[in-house]
Amino acid sequence: MLKYILRRLILAVPVLLGVSVLSFFIISLAPGDFLDYYRLNPSISAEQVHTLEKQFGFDKPFVVQYFKWLGQVLKGNFGYSFVYHIPVFDLVWRRLGATLLLSISTMIFTWGIAIPLGIYSALHQYSISDQAFSFFAFIGISIPNFFFALLWLFMAAKTGWFPIGGIISLNYDDLSFWGKIGDYLWHVVGPVITLGTSGLAGLMRQMRGQLLDQLRQDYVLFARAKGMPEKNVIYKHALRNAINPIVTMFGYSLSGLLGGAVLTETVFGWPGMGRLVIEALTSQDLFLVMATLLLSSLLLITGNLIADMLLAWVDPRIRFRLR
Amino acid sequence: MKKVLLVLFAVLIAVFVIAEPEYVIEDYNGVPGGTLYLGTTSGPKTLNPYWAQETSSTDIIGWYSDSLFNADNKGMPNVPALASKWWFSEDGKTVYFQIRKGLQWSDGEPFTVDDVYFTFTKVALAEGMTANGPSGAKDANDQLPVVEIVDDYTISFTWTVPNVWGFKWVGYSDILPKHVLEEAVDNGTFSETWTVADMDKIVGMGPFLPVEYTEGVRVILERNPYYYRFDKNGNRLPYLDKIVYLIVPDLNTELLKFEAGEIDIYGPTAENFPRIAEQAEEKGWVVGVGGPALGSNFIAFNWVTKDPVKREWFRNEHFRKAFVYMLDRQSIIDTLYNGLGSPLYGPVSPSSGFYNPEVEKFGYKYSIVRARLELKKAGFSWREDGTCVDKDGNPVEFELTTNVGNNVREAIGNKVVDAAKKLGIKVNFTPMQFNSLVQKLLGPDYEAVIIGLTGSVDPGSGWNVWRLDGGLHFWNYSPELRPDTVPEDIWWSPDWEKRIDEIFRLQTSAVDPQERYNLFAEFQMICAEHQPLIYTMNQNYLYAHKKIIHLANPEPNPAAGTLWKGYAIWKEAE
Repeated sequence: MLKYILRRLILAVPVLLGVSVLSFFIISLAPGDFLDYYRLNPSISAEQVHTLEKQFGFDKPFVVQYFKWLGQVLKGNFGYSFVYHIPVFDLVWRRLGATLLLSISTMIFTWGIAIPLGIYSALHQYSISDQAFSFFAFIGISIPNFFFALLWLFMAAKTGWFPIGGIISLNYDDLSFWGKIGDYLWHVVGPVITLGTSGLAGLMRQMRGQLLDQLRQDYVLFARAKGMPEKNVIYKHALRNAINPIVTMFGYSLSGLLGGAVLTETVFGWPGMGRLVIEALTSQDLFLVMATLLLSSLLLITGNLIADMLLAWVDPRIRFRLR
Repeated sequence: MKKVLLVLFAVLIAVFVIAEPEYVIEDYNGVPGGTLYLGTTSGPKTLNPYWAQETSSTDIIGWYSDSLFNADNKGMPNVPALASKWWFSEDGKTVYFQIRKGLQWSDGEPFTVDDVYFTFTKVALAEGMTANGPSGAKDANDQLPVVEIVDDYTISFTWTVPNVWGFKWVGYSDILPKHVLEEAVDNGTFSETWTVADMDKIVGMGPFLPVEYTEGVRVILERNPYYYRFDKNGNRLPYLDKIVYLIVPDLNTELLKFEAGEIDIYGPTAENFPRIAEQAEEKGWVVGVGGPALGSNFIAFNWVTKDPVKREWFRNEHFRKAFVYMLDRQSIIDTLYNGLGSPLYGPVSPSSGFYNPEVEKFGYKYSIVRARLELKKAGFSWREDGTCVDKDGNPVEFELTTNVGNNVREAIGNKVVDAAKKLGIKVNFTPMQFNSLVQKLLGPDYEAVIIGLTGSVDPGSGWNVWRLDGGLHFWNYSPELRPDTVPEDIWWSPDWEKRIDEIFRLQTSAVDPQERYNLFAEFQMICAEHQPLIYTMNQNYLYAHKKIIHLANPEPNPAAGTLWKGYAIWKEAE
């Protein structure tokens, strides 16, 4: 097992290298660079723009820029943000906490609700409750996130039950430890429900469909005919097979943990990565964009690895061997 | 006896060496204490005054940093700050600043003339040390000033010719503490100093200091205990203990927060201003409308575009004037600004002290008939089917662009397309992404563009736009600046454009304010008459705040907003 993980991690290196090459050159195809805002600033002269071009290395061809950057990366230096003038990973760390808090809460919310509901719906196919769950889940998926967020905030402003966006209250510093956790939970409800409801329907339908598929298989018929208790048939046999693709999906969803949700973050004023990445893209803050792209590729690779390992754990047929 | 003498001697020394601090007494009568809550759409990117570019950063820097003088509430450089007075030499080439005695930085260290000298020689005027570069301080001969310390409290700047614009540039520059920044400047890490990561290291002369920044959440500023201004009752300013900026990226959310009372001062958009004004009475708010904004959007035709036929049209001032008449500015103001704006026909906003009301005499207004008349004067005629053709029979058609996502510019573009259609002119309007647009503007490819530039009270700030060799003279680039795209033989510049160039060179040496005003008045008349750029409209400055907030600015306006003289803002206890 350990050898297998090691091999996967070694294989990740060329993948990441490929990602970096592709990203860097796709960015180079985009017109203009970070200094375009400087070029349209009436108080900055043309000579000054040239000076800055030299300072930032934009005067060199892109291939040279790439290898210069790669050389620095191998030394562990991912470059400075042009906008913030601090190392890019310092910036990412500053936002990481809020992003992870939100995405993990959302994940727990979505998965925690979607899986049981999916199972329930499959077992009570076409019943009133099955229809009702589907109905509400589809409402969630069809309302755009930013609009749902605005509706939520409007409700919060009118009733005062929830805060109007943000991540902490004004008096956060004066709260006790539990008070701080409570304050955070109070703030996270809105974004979590907004983000969670949009993912809920898909996951729930997936779970329902998979389980229904399995329940129609011959082995289920056989087990039932054999007189196995229904509980065992469903939870020990059918569910175990049905959960297989869901575990793969879980692995993929890990890669989205850092991506952030720009629109929802913007409306709620949530200080996550989404806005940082979008701002970096629009201002063409090259090294910051590269760092976030590499980070999410890394997460995708680890997410896949985790999914495969989970799969081996839930499905005894899968064993890893080094060939 | 000996002891008494000794004490007397010590007192005498103290009096001479530690001179009486030159504090400023302000005519305000507020109550100290309280926290002011403000909203901002984005947090600061860097707190380094010489590298910050966006207002989200400069807004915060403005609180802790100070300069030799400040602007009054008309945007004129009349308010003494770190310098108590300044004067020009007889020949006007040298300006002297006398700094205040006995002031202290926010960490208690003395503020001296060395700090000022350090700021200019090592940073502001040095090559490669700042984002904007020192070009703004150059005189008409392209020379930077020579900086000299005259005595312990006086510093001088000498140019080869009088340089008023340079004088303002120097006076408004942020003064840095030598004792804190010297090391970073010497080892070349200045641009990476005072970033958002070292909030706690900042030392300033301004009324408030940033103490905490939670990324994307809020910025907290606390009062500077050594600030050099007092009110008339002897209270040390600022009045407020704290300022908290809440970072609220979405404008709708910010509105909800203001309505819920979480934010004290709010800048409404024209769209939601009526809603705010309606509730003002009931909720206890003060709402107000200031003058039109200082920057503006305009249409520019490229006089050096590739196609010689189109070059001919665009250089014809009657052709351009047809577009001045064609654009229905009021209807855009009504739909996009809820009527809260003013049409603009020249490069200077009516809010500026340099505005010349004479330009209104040209009587420009929306009129398709007048537009048709101008086109006729320009030698255009119409075919049977209504297509507008030039004197050689070429149908009039051109490309117009702007950046995607700016709804005002897009509305202007659509209005132009519609109006031009009525006159048989085909305008192909295709907005594009900002970076592509900038790349295009720097080349010979574009035909016409709608764009805006930041403006300021003093038209002199437009030197890079209006001088013939300016980097942003993008409607008629000089061949010297862009030899590869503008060949010498296609370049043409009318006399009046050369006069504008001359005005922008002369204004820097016009030490007498009236003379400068007259030069800029003439500049505005030339622009209004010949319309090199077709100006559109400005939104008015809008503001709202709780009644319990007492602003220091009697009339907030685009040149001096609600936070002008923030040290004198005070808040009644709720």
